[in-house]
Amino acid sequence: MQLPNYLFVLCAMVLMLLCKPSASKTKQEVLNDRVKQLMEWSSRRTVIQMTGSKFSTYVKSKPRNYSMIVMFTALNPKRGCSVCQEANDEFTILANSYRFSPSYGNSLFFASVDFDDGPDTFQNLGLNSAPAFMHFPAKGKKKSGDTYDIQRLGYHADNLAKWLAERTEIVVRIFRPPNYTGTVVLVLLFSLAGGLLYVRRNSLEFLFNKNFWGSLAIFVILAMTSGQMWNHIRGPPYYHRNPQTGSISYIHGSSQGQLVAETHIVMVVNAAIVAGFVLLHEAHQPKNDMSKRKVMAVAGLILVAFFFSLLMSIFRQKYQGYPYSFLLR
Amino acid sequence: MATVGLEAIKNPNALTSLITVVVLALCCIIGFSSRLFAVIRFESIIHEFDPWFNYRATHRLSTFGFYDFLNWFDERAWYPLGRIVGGTIYPGLMVTAGLMHWILNSLHITVHIRDVCVFLAPVFSGFTSIATYFLTKELWDTGAALFAACFIAVVPGYISRSVAGSYDNEGVAIFALQFTYFLWIKALKTGSVFWAACTALSYFYMVSAWGGYVFIINLIPLHVFVLLLMQRFSRRVYVAYTTFFILGLLCSMQIPFVGFQPIRTSEHMASAGVFLLLQVYCFLDYIRSKTSKAQFRSLFFFTILVICGGLFLGVVVLTWAGYIAPWSGRFYSLWDTGYAKIHIPIIASVSEHQPTTWSSFFFDLHILSCTFPAGLWFCVQKINDERVFVVLYAVFAAYFAGVMVRLMLTLTPVVCILAGITFSNTLSHFIKDDDTPVKSKKEGSKKKGTKSSDNGEYAPIQNEDSDGGEEDHHQENQHGKALYDKAGKTSHKGSKKALSPGTGTGAAYKKNKQENIGLGANLKGLALMSMLLILMLFVVHCTWVTSNAYSSPSVVLASYNNDGSRVILDDFREAYHWLRQNTHDRARVMSWWDYGYQIAGMANRTTLVDNNTWNNSHIALVGKAMASTEEKSIEIMRMLDVDYVLIIFGGMIGYSGDDINKFLWMVRIAEGEHPQDIKESKYFTPNGEFRVDREGSPTLLNCLMYKMSYYRFGELQLDFRSPPGFDRTRNAEIGNKDISFEHLEEAFTSEHWLVRIYKVLKPANRKPLGHPLKSKRYKQKYISRKTNKKKRGHIKNKYSVKKGLRTRPLSASKSAGRRSRTGTKRSL
Repeated sequence: MQLPNYLFVLCAMVLMLLCKPSASKTKQEVLNDRVKQLMEWSSRRTVIQMTGSKFSTYVKSKPRNYSMIVMFTALNPKRGCSVCQEANDEFTILANSYRFSPSYGNSLFFASVDFDDGPDTFQNLGLNSAPAFMHFPAKGKKKSGDTYDIQRLGYHADNLAKWLAERTEIVVRIFRPPNYTGTVVLVLLFSLAGGLLYVRRNSLEFLFNKNFWGSLAIFVILAMTSGQMWNHIRGPPYYHRNPQTGSISYIHGSSQGQLVAETHIVMVVNAAIVAGFVLLHEAHQPKNDMSKRKVMAVAGLILVAFFFSLLMSIFRQKYQGYPYSFLLR
Repeated sequence: MATVGLEAIKNPNALTSLITVVVLALCCIIGFSSRLFAVIRFESIIHEFDPWFNYRATHRLSTFGFYDFLNWFDERAWYPLGRIVGGTIYPGLMVTAGLMHWILNSLHITVHIRDVCVFLAPVFSGFTSIATYFLTKELWDTGAALFAACFIAVVPGYISRSVAGSYDNEGVAIFALQFTYFLWIKALKTGSVFWAACTALSYFYMVSAWGGYVFIINLIPLHVFVLLLMQRFSRRVYVAYTTFFILGLLCSMQIPFVGFQPIRTSEHMASAGVFLLLQVYCFLDYIRSKTSKAQFRSLFFFTILVICGGLFLGVVVLTWAGYIAPWSGRFYSLWDTGYAKIHIPIIASVSEHQPTTWSSFFFDLHILSCTFPAGLWFCVQKINDERVFVVLYAVFAAYFAGVMVRLMLTLTPVVCILAGITFSNTLSHFIKDDDTPVKSKKEGSKKKGTKSSDNGEYAPIQNEDSDGGEEDHHQENQHGKALYDKAGKTSHKGSKKALSPGTGTGAAYKKNKQENIGLGANLKGLALMSMLLILMLFVVHCTWVTSNAYSSPSVVLASYNNDGSRVILDDFREAYHWLRQNTHDRARVMSWWDYGYQIAGMANRTTLVDNNTWNNSHIALVGKAMASTEEKSIEIMRMLDVDYVLIIFGGMIGYSGDDINKFLWMVRIAEGEHPQDIKESKYFTPNGEFRVDREGSPTLLNCLMYKMSYYRFGELQLDFRSPPGFDRTRNAEIGNKDISFEHLEEAFTSEHWLVRIYKVLKPANRKPLGHPLKSKRYKQKYISRKTNKKKRGHIKNKYSVKKGLRTRPLSASKSAGRRSRTGTKRSL
């Protein structure tokens, strides 16, 4: 990698010495030096860490014959930017994918500027939030599209690559290092369970415990009927805070969506109704004594009636124009 | 009635059967009639989109016969590719309807095939009730079974797919599903080859009717596997499963659409794996009888390990080598929930493939959604072979229903079964009170009737006990309701025995009786009342949901004025009828895929894409034509021989399901295939909004779909409060009011502008130049060289003759188009 670069630089220099007077020669020379420097850095680390001064020399100042994609970030833990770390990972994935893609060359570099290394850079660019992604084109001025819209597109590497292709016409296919954490966790879990079984191999009664299996099955069902899968796929917020009044609502206003808090409430309500029915059933088992059975029956009845009314009133809130209710409005 | 009752009291068995039959008949009637809202409000019409294709296919089947239907190549769909219909559909539905039509006609009951199709689903809902009754009876007892049958007759989760006119696979498939499960449980219990063969036949019907058969062919092996793990394996399981598997496999491969899939795709591998496992297990069992214990132990573990590893590796290798197809996208997206969103926009674009919120669970199942886990609990507490099945069914169906809204349909039957068990189990205790007079409530009567029947099964033993009740019956059997109530009395004994056979001795029963009295009549009455109220709420809810949410044909729309009078918007049929009457028989109509089946079914014209979304690139091409400018899309349209373009526009009446609202999906699907021509981000404003007013992105404002939707809409002022060109669906004044076409011509717009049809003009004789003819240069050519250029004079007041302009109005529209383009530029 290094050798052809040197050759190229040498040839360029020789050519320049031969035919060009000194002023523009130095300009070209500066350019070549920069590219060389950047190539060297990027071969060490695909995302070049820059300070404020480096940024102004390599990115801000002209001339350039290379594009730069710069991430502005604040990775220092005391800045408390949790998104930055995730965005940084995605950005590194993008940079690495580019590094190993066929379009890899010396016309595009990836860099990042940390707020703690160059606060003045942030000021100059008028940035007041991190992370931000910007594209500095080789020629011409920065356009509005050169600032990546992180609010709308998120910082997923695929979206970044799409944006990159739009701005620079370099197509990068995202190659994610396979994520082994899921597998590792699964293997750990299995070995843990296996180990537990082995240690307790003399008392495996819990495997034959009906309450254990029953609760497990009911838990899965309650999780599904309360819409946890929807939460998993759509990722709604836990609750909603009204920006004007500051009031917090736990129930989503329409039947099209839901908040996480709401699903937890519904799960508890459903569980209470199930418990009520089980109690009503147990109240008739002759194995318990009489007073206990009475308490059970009353408790079961109250659980069922109250929580079912509650569920219906929550549903009424979400479904405008629903005409029915029970006990509660 | 009275005489029957008299005899019945002598024979409790007969009484139970009578009640059962009456309740089931009522279930069928209720189920049938509550699905008729759409027919009564509108007319006997096929609903929505897919049913139109099914209807068209059935019509073909009944007109030309079965073999023609199987070999049918539909040249009117997917122009210019066509579609092999016989090999790409599940024919069960059409064959069922065709058979019913044939039978009715041979009996000289002349019914049109359309009416058979419209009423097929409601009729089958009755069959589903009966199948559910039998299944629940095998799982628990008669009382729970009657409850379950009542529930499934009215539950919205099932009604949503089986109202009259919704002529779709699911309508018959849920019956087949329940019936297959019933036969499977029966086969498992008896271990007889006969029942297992019946299961396979019923499974065959299911395969022929719906792609959801994959659920059965995975659930039954899973059941067997879990039984094996629980050491509940027996010869009965072996006989039932092996018979079912072999026959079911052979049968399912007879359906052309399924073909060799059962032995070549991953979805079916589980059943084959379990089949092999059973053989190995039985072989080992045989060896165990021949060897010593210690020897066998090591052999057992070693063999199991080798077999499992070998099977797994084998499947992996075969998949990798391409002999077994990996999981198809639709199935894969069930496990990896983010998969479809990223990779298959066409799946993600369908609203019924979205995950399910809790409110839609509650909407579709109401009280059942919170009571069925209790039934599951009871099943786990009193587990046996067949209850293992229902537990697995509930857990997996709940998972699938959580991932996809449309799979709510597979969850609904098991919810009804388990909720039936819950209510039957709870209510039976409260009804059997001896010293409280039982209320003869209308709601209650049916439930109590159910209760009564559950003992009925086992009742004959208790003739002495019911003697007391007999007297009362004599007095009260004039009113049917009272009869049920009394019958309810006798019930508990039977259920007790049924649940714990062996322990139900007379003494134990006496003891129970005394203790039950202790619980207090008031408490029991209260509990009974609240249960009945809840059940009543359920029934009311079901009716309300059916009437309001699931009974719209969506081909005919209805809106209500302030005074409650109804306005029918029949724009769709108006437009399709226009197409049918006014266009050439072979005309090709381009529209978004949603309307393909309706155009084919109602207008009988050739379509480019339709709801059978088998060819993504073809759909993407149509999407690209809609999303490009007129100049670009005319090339695509000429390439595809399009004669007419049909779009749905709801801005005039505020109909939200129109093409502009679906437009982003067209863009996305087009972008998937043509990433360099179509970019989704260009259709958004810089702030990332999708808006149609003057702030909207210029790409959107000039694309074909926008222009076709809003052509001449800017001239229309809907009311005095809003500006002209105000889109009621998106609540915005449109941004591009000056729209004209060069290659298209408005052919038809329906009464409420809901459907707009454009005609694609034939190419003009030659292409008009993009600029006026440069007459001066031509003149120059003919100037004699002898004359000096400077001397070239001109005639004063000469009439200017415009050359090259055509007399067709086309040219006028062209210049107007240019004006409009500059106009938009200025406005931006």
